[in-house]
Amino acid sequence: MNGYGFRHAARMERIKLSSVRSTWWLAIAAVVSMAAAGAGVGLGYRSHTPVATAAQILNNSLGGAIVAQLLLGALGVLVVTGEYGTGMIRSTFAAVPRRRIVLAAKVAVCGGAALTVGLVASFAGYLGGQLAIRGTAIPAASLGDPAILRAVVLTGVYLGVTALIGVGIGTIVRHSGAAIGTLFGLMFVPMIVAGLFGESGIQVGRFVPLLMLLNSIAVTSPVPGLFSSWISALLMCGYAAVAILCGAVLLRHRDA
Amino acid sequence: MVSGFRPPTALPSVDCMIELRELTKRYGDQVAVDGLSVRVQPGVVTGFLGPNGSGKSTTMRMILGLDAPDHGEALIGGVRYPDVDWPLKTVGALLDAGAFHPGRSARAHLAALAASNDIPGSRVKQVLRIVGLSDAATRRAGTYSLGMRQRLGVAVALLGDPGVLLLDEPVNGLDPEGIRWIRDLLRGLAAEGRTVFVSSHLIAEMALTADRLVVIGRGRLLAETTVAELAAGEDSLEDAFFRLTSQATDYRGVGAS
Repeated sequence: MNGYGFRHAARMERIKLSSVRSTWWLAIAAVVSMAAAGAGVGLGYRSHTPVATAAQILNNSLGGAIVAQLLLGALGVLVVTGEYGTGMIRSTFAAVPRRRIVLAAKVAVCGGAALTVGLVASFAGYLGGQLAIRGTAIPAASLGDPAILRAVVLTGVYLGVTALIGVGIGTIVRHSGAAIGTLFGLMFVPMIVAGLFGESGIQVGRFVPLLMLLNSIAVTSPVPGLFSSWISALLMCGYAAVAILCGAVLLRHRDA
Repeated sequence: MVSGFRPPTALPSVDCMIELRELTKRYGDQVAVDGLSVRVQPGVVTGFLGPNGSGKSTTMRMILGLDAPDHGEALIGGVRYPDVDWPLKTVGALLDAGAFHPGRSARAHLAALAASNDIPGSRVKQVLRIVGLSDAATRRAGTYSLGMRQRLGVAVALLGDPGVLLLDEPVNGLDPEGIRWIRDLLRGLAAEGRTVFVSSHLIAEMALTADRLVVIGRGRLLAETTVAELAAGEDSLEDAFFRLTSQATDYRGVGAS
């Protein structure tokens, strides 16, 4: 018996995450928004001429990730800022004074949950698209095709990692509104800026999360000029690591 | 009345004295706590008394490692709080009645904190019964009245059956019955040999609850005394309290001009 550790903190975080309604609403909304976007795309293409390709359907039916990333990003933010906003953080740090253990537990628990939800949501988007084109001449996209499977899985990974970026930003900013605003800004503003540079913007654009999602990760073959989908996904993990490390440094010295 | 020191019986044999050594906290130019050195002994209720803004809450947050002191240290049985093996089994704290997520039920709140310190789930049910929240345990804590929130805070403090209890203004918002309940609870806990350190700005309440008193004003120690000593030689406890704290206010008035 030599004191608490990560295992105990992770159990605490798991109970905390599952015992507030916002977690479930955000998770359900993420899955539903991707399923709806997938089905909408499929229905739209049913009577489209010329007949759509399997890649076209897949690429577009994962477009709901634009919404799902905001929902899961907000989930990650709230895991931290929800505690600062309510005073819960003082109960948490009184129970586990070594704060980095708390942050590590939040990263593991929230990251695991968001990855699961992200994969389910991504698959729901794929399935929504495929079900909506049944009975048409459009060729079905099979998950047996490595390129299709990769796009669906990495979209789920992207969504899970977005939640971790949310955890990092939440730890840095500590205020729910400001942190969610910061996260949304970081998702959209760089894309707009990259767009201003036209063709040459791709040199910058391949580092921008949303452009990576839409042109590299959630597609069967990346747009020329962008990184491969695996590199893009790794880059996202790098962003999350930077945000979380910054949070960890600040966490140590600030009063709770 | 429990006044003498009784050695801990059923409690773990760790020393549960609170020791503050030149504890100091500044916020910019403001000195919130100024070189505070105090020892809080087990077996008695020690009242922590001072006007609003005198640094009571800041001191308690520093004892729990929530705020970092600019100078000095706070020790629990000779150990800094962050170095304690099982924090909730060592110190039970009620800092403010709102230290929970309003969307979470009392049961889930307690279960989460219990898990963090390897406290069995059966203890959650037990503390809910002690504070009288068993019937409301599955309700979202945000729907609670102020009195129920205080009771939930007390449940958190009792969760780990700690040898040290730290309560910041526990009677705030309680009705007379609730105030008497807290008073009896604290006296009972001290009688079991625990260290009970409870802050208040109400001298009359402290006179009924506490045996020993630590009085501060403007972050400085004004007196370390007993209720009996403070009352002796003055018209009333209240007069004695005002005499002590008005000196602190005068001192500050001169210093600021």
